[in-house]
Amino acid sequence: MMRTIQFGMAMLLALTLPAEAGELIVTLEDGHGGAASDAVVSLYEDGDAEPVPQRASMVRIIDQRAETFIPYVEIFRPGDQVVFRNSDRTRHHVYSFAAAKSFEFVIAPGDSSPPVTLDRVGEISVGCNIHDQMITHLYVSDAPWVARSDVDGRADFTGLPAGTYQVEVWHPQLRPGRPAPRQTIVVNDAPAHVTFSLPLLSDPRQTGDRSRY
Amino acid sequence: MSFRLRLSLLFVATLVAVQIFTALLIYGVARRAFIAEGERQLSAGASAVVRQLDDISTRVADNVQVLALDYALRAAIAQHDQSTVLSALRNHGRRIGAERMLLIGLDGAIRSDTSNAVAEGQKFPFPDLADAALDRPAAAVVAMDGKAYWMIVVPVYAPEPIALIAAGIPVDNSLLARLQQLSALPNTIELITDVGAGRWTDVARGNESVELASALTAAGHSLPLQPTLVRADGREYVALAKRLRESQQSAPVALVLGYSIDDALQPYRSVALAWASLVALGLAAGLIGAMLIARSVAHPIETLAATVHRVESGDYTAPSPVRAGGEIGQLAAAFTNMTHAIAEREEHIRHQALHDAVTGLPNRQAAEAAIREAITGVAGANGALLMVGLARLPEIIQTMGHSICDRVMHDAGARLRQFAGRGLVARATDGQFSVWLDGTGKADAIAMAFRILDALGVPYQESDLSIDTAPAIGIALCPQHGSEASALLRRSEVALIAALDSADPVAVYDPTTDPHRPERLTLMTDLREALDRNELRLHYQPKLNLADLHIDSVEALVRWNHPQRGSVPPETFIALAEKTGNIRRLTRWVLASSIAQAQEWAARGHLVRVAVNLSARDLDDAELPRRIGDLLSLHGVSPRSIVLELTESAVMGEPELAVQVLKRLADLGIDLAIDDFGVGQSSFAYLRRLPVREIKIDRLFTQRLGEDAGDRTLVRSIVELGHRLGYRVTAEGVETRAAIEYLRDIGCDHAQGFYIARALAADAVERLFTRSEWDVTRAGANI
Repeated sequence: MMRTIQFGMAMLLALTLPAEAGELIVTLEDGHGGAASDAVVSLYEDGDAEPVPQRASMVRIIDQRAETFIPYVEIFRPGDQVVFRNSDRTRHHVYSFAAAKSFEFVIAPGDSSPPVTLDRVGEISVGCNIHDQMITHLYVSDAPWVARSDVDGRADFTGLPAGTYQVEVWHPQLRPGRPAPRQTIVVNDAPAHVTFSLPLLSDPRQTGDRSRY
Repeated sequence: MSFRLRLSLLFVATLVAVQIFTALLIYGVARRAFIAEGERQLSAGASAVVRQLDDISTRVADNVQVLALDYALRAAIAQHDQSTVLSALRNHGRRIGAERMLLIGLDGAIRSDTSNAVAEGQKFPFPDLADAALDRPAAAVVAMDGKAYWMIVVPVYAPEPIALIAAGIPVDNSLLARLQQLSALPNTIELITDVGAGRWTDVARGNESVELASALTAAGHSLPLQPTLVRADGREYVALAKRLRESQQSAPVALVLGYSIDDALQPYRSVALAWASLVALGLAAGLIGAMLIARSVAHPIETLAATVHRVESGDYTAPSPVRAGGEIGQLAAAFTNMTHAIAEREEHIRHQALHDAVTGLPNRQAAEAAIREAITGVAGANGALLMVGLARLPEIIQTMGHSICDRVMHDAGARLRQFAGRGLVARATDGQFSVWLDGTGKADAIAMAFRILDALGVPYQESDLSIDTAPAIGIALCPQHGSEASALLRRSEVALIAALDSADPVAVYDPTTDPHRPERLTLMTDLREALDRNELRLHYQPKLNLADLHIDSVEALVRWNHPQRGSVPPETFIALAEKTGNIRRLTRWVLASSIAQAQEWAARGHLVRVAVNLSARDLDDAELPRRIGDLLSLHGVSPRSIVLELTESAVMGEPELAVQVLKRLADLGIDLAIDDFGVGQSSFAYLRRLPVREIKIDRLFTQRLGEDAGDRTLVRSIVELGHRLGYRVTAEGVETRAAIEYLRDIGCDHAQGFYIARALAADAVERLFTRSEWDVTRAGANI
C-alpha cells in the first residue's frame, strides 16, 4: 500500500482512486453553526509509524491582491520556499516576527520578494505593516498527514492504513495560548468521521477597524 | 377687649392663618414636585453620564488600540526587547493619559509594568478583561489601591495576537468634574466602591459633592438603583446609583448622582423671601386697614355710647355729630332725634309737674321750691308770703260749676301776675294763690296785699255774668313766722283763714291764735298710745239728790296725766279726738271703764248711776247700742245704772241716724240726758221727739243764781217745764250755797258742781256715797 502520499496529491487521489485502505473525514465547525475553513488538520498514527517519505522542496507563491494575502493559510514542509508577490498597485510591507522565521520586505507594486526558505517547523504569521487587515499564515509541518479544510470545513483523508490516529487541528483564529484541539480516532474499512467545533475569534481580515467592539 | 381690637385681631389672624396654610401647601407641593423632578433628572442624567463615560472609555480604548499597532512596539514585544517595550509603554502611556501601562502575556502573566509595582510573571488581576480583549478591546472601571481606573486591555497583533497591553487611566475628580460640566446638571456626582460589609466609600468626586457614600452607609441603604431620598450634611438629596462596566475581579464600582432638593429650592428662596415680605407688607397694610375700618365702625359707636351715658345722667345737649354713612349714620341720626324727643318730653313733664294747667302758674311744689331757694342758706334772708284766697269760690263751684271756676281762677291768676310786680305768683291750692315777695317787710307786704285786693276786687265779667270773688289775703313773714318754705305756706294759709273769718280781708299770721300748731298731731299720737297703755283715768263728779241729800249718781269725766306735758285739759284732747276721728275709741274706753266701775260699786252695795258723755260722732255709730248692751251684760250691770249725756249740738247734726241710735239705746233701758241745756238751739219741741229722760241746765244759768233774778226765773221755768214734760232736771255748775238752796226750793232733782264736790278718783268719790248729811251752808267743804 502506498503510504507516502504527497498531501496535495492525497486529496486528489482520494477523489480519483478507489481507497485501498481506510478513509477519515474531518468536519470543522466554527461554533456558530458555520463551517470553519482554512483549518490545518494533522494526523499522527499511534504506534510505530513508518517514516513519511520526503518530497522534493518546492516554492510557493503568496500573492497579494486587493490588499489581501492569498491564500490565508498555506501548508509548507520544512525546506520549502515562499515568495511574496505584490499584484496590487500599492506597496506592501511584509513582515514576520515568528520564531520559525522572521523577515521583512517592502515590495513595490508588481515586484516579488526573494524566496524565503522555511526550514523550521512552526507557524509563521505574516502581516503587512501598511495594511493591518492583511494577514496570512504559513504553516510549516512535518506531520505524516496534513490537510487544510475547504470552504465547507471539510478535510478528507483517504488511503489510510487501519489503525488508531491522533487528529490535531490548528486554526489562525483559535484562542492563543491554549492547547491545540485533539481527538483520537480508529480508522478501518469504514470511513471514519471526526467533527471539531472550534471556538474561533473573529476573522482579523474582515475587521477593517480592529478597535471596534 | 374693645370691639376695635377684636375686629382687627380677627382680620389679622385670618390673614396669617391663610398665609401660613398657603405657604405650607406650596412648600409641600413644591418639595414633592422637586423630588419628582429630581428623580426624572437623575434617571435621565445618570443614563447620559454612563453613556458619556462609555464613550470616553471607547475613545481611550481606541487610542490604546492604535498604540498597540505601533510597529516598533510590536517588534520590540515580538523580539522580547524588554527595556524597549517598557520605555515605549511609558511613552505611549503619557500620550493617552494612562497612569499605568502593563504588558501581559497571552498566558495572563504580567511581562512589563510601567509602575514597577508588580513583579514580572505575576498574574494580571483582571483575567476576565484579558480574556475578553482577544475578541474586542476590553474596558472596565476598576478599583485599585483606593483609586478608580478605566482598565483598558487590547491585544498586540504581530499580526496574530502575541500579547496584551493594559492601560490604567484614572477616573478622578477632575474627570468627574468635567463630566459634570458636560452634562450641565446641578448634581452631586460621585464614584463609590464597596469596601466590604456593605460599606461604600467614594473613590472620586465631582465638584461640590457631598459624602453621599458615607451617608448611604450611615443610613444603611443598599445601592440606590432606584431614586431614593437621602440626607447628607443635613440636606436632602435624591440619590441614584448606576453600576458601571466592571471587571468581575474588581470590587463593585458605582456612579452615584445626587440631586439636592435644597439646591433646587434655592432659586425659590428669593421668591419665598419676596413672598414673605409681601405677606408682612400685606399684614401691615391689612392691620392698618382693619384698624381704620374698625375705627370707622367703632368710633361712631363709642361716641354714641358716650352720648347715651350723658343722656342717662340727664344731659340732653345735642350729641357730638357722628360723621358716618350707612347704618351707623342712620342710627346716630335716629339717636339724636330720640334724645331731642326725650328732652322735650321731659321738659313738658317737668313743666306739668311744676305748673298748674288752668292758670299756667307754678304750682305749690314749684312755689315751695322757689321760696326755699330764695331763703335757704341765705344769711339775713327775708320776705313775705301772701296767700290769696277767694271766699266765694265754693259757692261759685256749687252754683255755676267747675269750668266757670277755672275761668275765674285763670282770670284771677292773670290779674295777680299783672299786679304782683316782681313777686312770684303760684297757684298754691285749688282756691288759693301764693305770692312770694322776696326781701319785702311787713309794711310793704300789707301794701301789696291791698293793691292785690283792689285788682281782684273788680268783679269777673263773662257775657252776662258778673262774679264777685270776695278775695282775702293772709300774710306770713320770713323770718318772723318761719324760715322754711313749707312753714311759711302753712302759716300764710292760717292767716288767710283768719282773714276769711273776719271783716278785715288782710290778716298777718298770729302765732297765738293758730290752732293748727304741729304739737297737736303729736298729742293725738300720744292719746292713742295712752289709750293702748291704759294711761287715762276716770274721775267722777258726784250729783247730789236734792230731795234726800244723798249722792246717788256721778258723772264720769276722763283725765289724762301726760308723762311729759303733765295734766292735759280734757276740752283740749277731746276736741282734738273729735276732729281726728279718735273720739269713738275714747268713748268706748270710757264706757268700758265706767260700766266696770259701776259693777264694782254695785258689788259693794252702792247703787250709783254713772253718767257717761257721748260725742256727736258717737251717734253716727250704728254699732254703739249693741256694743253698750254687750258691755252691760258682760259686767252684769243693769241699764238703769247708766246715763248717757249728750250735748244739744250733738243731737242737732244728722238727726235721722242719731235719733235711730238714741231710740235703740232707750230701748235697752238706758236713760239719756241732754247736757248744757239752754245755750244751744235745742228746744223742748225738738226734745219731745227724742227718748230723753233728763236735762242738765248749763252752768251759764246756775252760776249767778244767788244774785240774778232773771236767771232764777229762767231756771225755775226750766225746772217746772221739764218736770211737767216728765224730765228729771239736774243743775250743773252749782258753786254757791245760795244756788243750791234755791234749787232745793224750786224742786230741782239733782245738783252738781264744785260746791258739792269736784270730780274725784273712784275711791275718793266712793267715800261720799255713804255720807248722809250734807252741810249745804258751807261751800266746797264737802270734800
